[in-house]
Amino acid sequence: MNNIEIVSIIAAAFSVGMGAIGPALAEGRAVAAAMDAIARQPEAAGTLSRTLFVGLAMIETTAIYSLVIALLVLFANPFVK
Amino acid sequence: MIRSPLMLEPLFHVGTVPVTAPVLVASAIVLSLGAGARLASRRFALRPSRLQATIELFVAAVDEQIKGVMQADPAPYRALIGTIFLFVLAANWTSLIPGVDPPTARLETDAALAFIVVCATIGLGVRARGLRGYLATFAEPSWAMIPLNVVEQITRAFSLVIRLFGNVMSGVFVVGIVLSLAGLLVPIPLMALDLLTGAVQAYIFAVLATVFIGAAVGEGGGQRASTPNGDGNEQH
Amino acid sequence: MRFDWWTFALQTVNVLILLWILSRFLFRPAADIIKARQAEAGKLLSDAAAARESAEAERRKAAAFEQELSARRAEALHTAEQDASARRQALIDAARKEAEQLRLAARVVIAQAREAEAEAADDRASRLAVDIAAKLIDRMPESARVAGFIEGLVEAVAALPLETRVELAAEGAPIPVTAPRALAEIEIGELEAGLRRALGRVVRVQGRIDAGLIAGLEIETAHARVRNSLRADLEAIQNKLLTRDG
Repeated sequence: MNNIEIVSIIAAAFSVGMGAIGPALAEGRAVAAAMDAIARQPEAAGTLSRTLFVGLAMIETTAIYSLVIALLVLFANPFVK
Repeated sequence: MIRSPLMLEPLFHVGTVPVTAPVLVASAIVLSLGAGARLASRRFALRPSRLQATIELFVAAVDEQIKGVMQADPAPYRALIGTIFLFVLAANWTSLIPGVDPPTARLETDAALAFIVVCATIGLGVRARGLRGYLATFAEPSWAMIPLNVVEQITRAFSLVIRLFGNVMSGVFVVGIVLSLAGLLVPIPLMALDLLTGAVQAYIFAVLATVFIGAAVGEGGGQRASTPNGDGNEQH
Repeated sequence: MRFDWWTFALQTVNVLILLWILSRFLFRPAADIIKARQAEAGKLLSDAAAARESAEAERRKAAAFEQELSARRAEALHTAEQDASARRQALIDAARKEAEQLRLAARVVIAQAREAEAEAADDRASRLAVDIAAKLIDRMPESARVAGFIEGLVEAVAALPLETRVELAAEGAPIPVTAPRALAEIEIGELEAGLRRALGRVVRVQGRIDAGLIAGLEIETAHARVRNSLRADLEAIQNKLLTRDG
C-alpha cells in the first residue's frame, strides 16, 4: 500500500465527515423551522411536511456530493494505477 | 472488497453493441410500463374504474404541478414530465427486486435522462422564442453574464445527474454494506428510507426539469427557487 | 472510471421509447377522458339547471292555479253570502209586510169594534135621552105636550117654500097632524087658526096619534113634511153628535 492509497482513504473519510457537517446543521435548522411552523399552523402540516421532505432531499444532495467525491477517490482514483 | 459502483461490465454483446444490466432493467421497465399503459387506456370509460381514477389523479397532479411552476397550459409538457417522473420512480423502486440494481444507480442512465431534459429545454426554448430569442436569454440581465449563464446551464445539468446518481447509488451502497455486516431484518429500515428517497428524488427530478423548461420557454417569468412548494405527487 | 457511451445511448433510446409509448397510450387518452368527463359534467349541470328551471315554472303555474282557485272560492263564498243576505232580507221584508197587514187588519177590526161600540153607546144615549125626555114630559101637564108646540108648527109651516104651502092649501083635504095623544077640541081649534094664518085659507086638521113623538106635533103629507117634536129634536142632536164623531 503506497502513500497515494493511504492519502486517498484519509481524504475520502475526511470528505464524507466534513461534507456531512454542513447538511446536518442545515437539516437541523430546516426541521426546527418546520416544527415551529407546524406548531403555529397545525392545519398546514401536510403541505409543510411535504415541502420539508423535498427541502431535506435538496440539502442532502450536498452530502451526497461529498459521498460521490469519496467514492471517486476510492474507486476511480486517476492517480492509482 | 466491495465492487466499484462506477464500473460496468457488459453482460453480453449484440453484434458489436455491449448490453449492460441497467439497459436490460430499463428495457424491462419500458416494456412493463408501456404494456400497463396500453392495457389501462384501452378500458378507459367515462365512468372511471379504480385504476383509471388513479391514473387520472396522477395526470391531474402532473398538470397541476406544471401549471404551478410555469403558469402555462400543461398540455405540451405533460407527457415529458410525467414520463420522466414515472421512469425515475420505477427505476428507483427496482431496488426492491432481489438481485437487481436500479438503473438510476448508474451514471449512464442519469446522464441519459439529463441529456433528454437538456435537449428538451433547448428545443422547447427555441420553439417558444425562436433561435435568436432563446440565445438572447443568455445575455440577461446584461451581456457580461453570458459566460456565467453558459456555465450555469452546464453545471445545473451535471448537478441533476449527480444528485440522482448519488442518492440512489448511496442507498444501494449503504444497503449493501449493512447487508454484509448483519444479514437479516437490519437493512429493512434502510430499504424503506431508500424507497422514500427514490420517490422524493423522482419528484425533484421532474420538478427541476419543469423549472428548466419553464425558464427556457419564459412563460413562467424566470427561474424559480429549486424547492417549489405546492402539492407533490410522491406516491409513498 | 469508465463512462460507457453504449449504455448511455441505449438508455436514452429506452427513455425516448417510453416517452413515446406513454404519451401515445397513457397521457393523451387520460387527458381526453378527463376533458370528455368535464364536458359531460357541464352538460349534466346545464341539464339540471334547465330541469330546475322547468320545475320552477311548473311550481309557479301551480301557485297561480291555486291563487285562481282561492279567488274563485272567495268569489263563490261572497256570492253565497250575498244570496243568503238577500234571502234573509226578503224573508224579513215578507214578515214585515205580513205584520203590517196583520196590524192593518187589527186596526180595521179595532175601528169596527170601536164604531160598533160607539153606535151602541149612541143607541143607549138616545134611548136614555128619550127616557129622560119622556119622564120630564110626564111630569109636566098633559097640555104641555101639544100646546107648547102649536106655535112652532105654525112657524115651520110658514117657513116652508111657497109651492109647498100652496100645495098644502090646495088639496082641500084635511091636513094630517100627528100628535102623541088624542088632540082636544080646543087644541084642534088653535091649530086650525094658526094654519089658516100661515097658509092663507081655511083648513081642517085630522088628528093622528103616535106616542113615539113624546111631545110635539108633526105634519106629514105626500109632498111635505114638518117635524116639530121632541123626538125629531133628539134625533137631530144625535145626528149632529154622530157627524162630529165621525
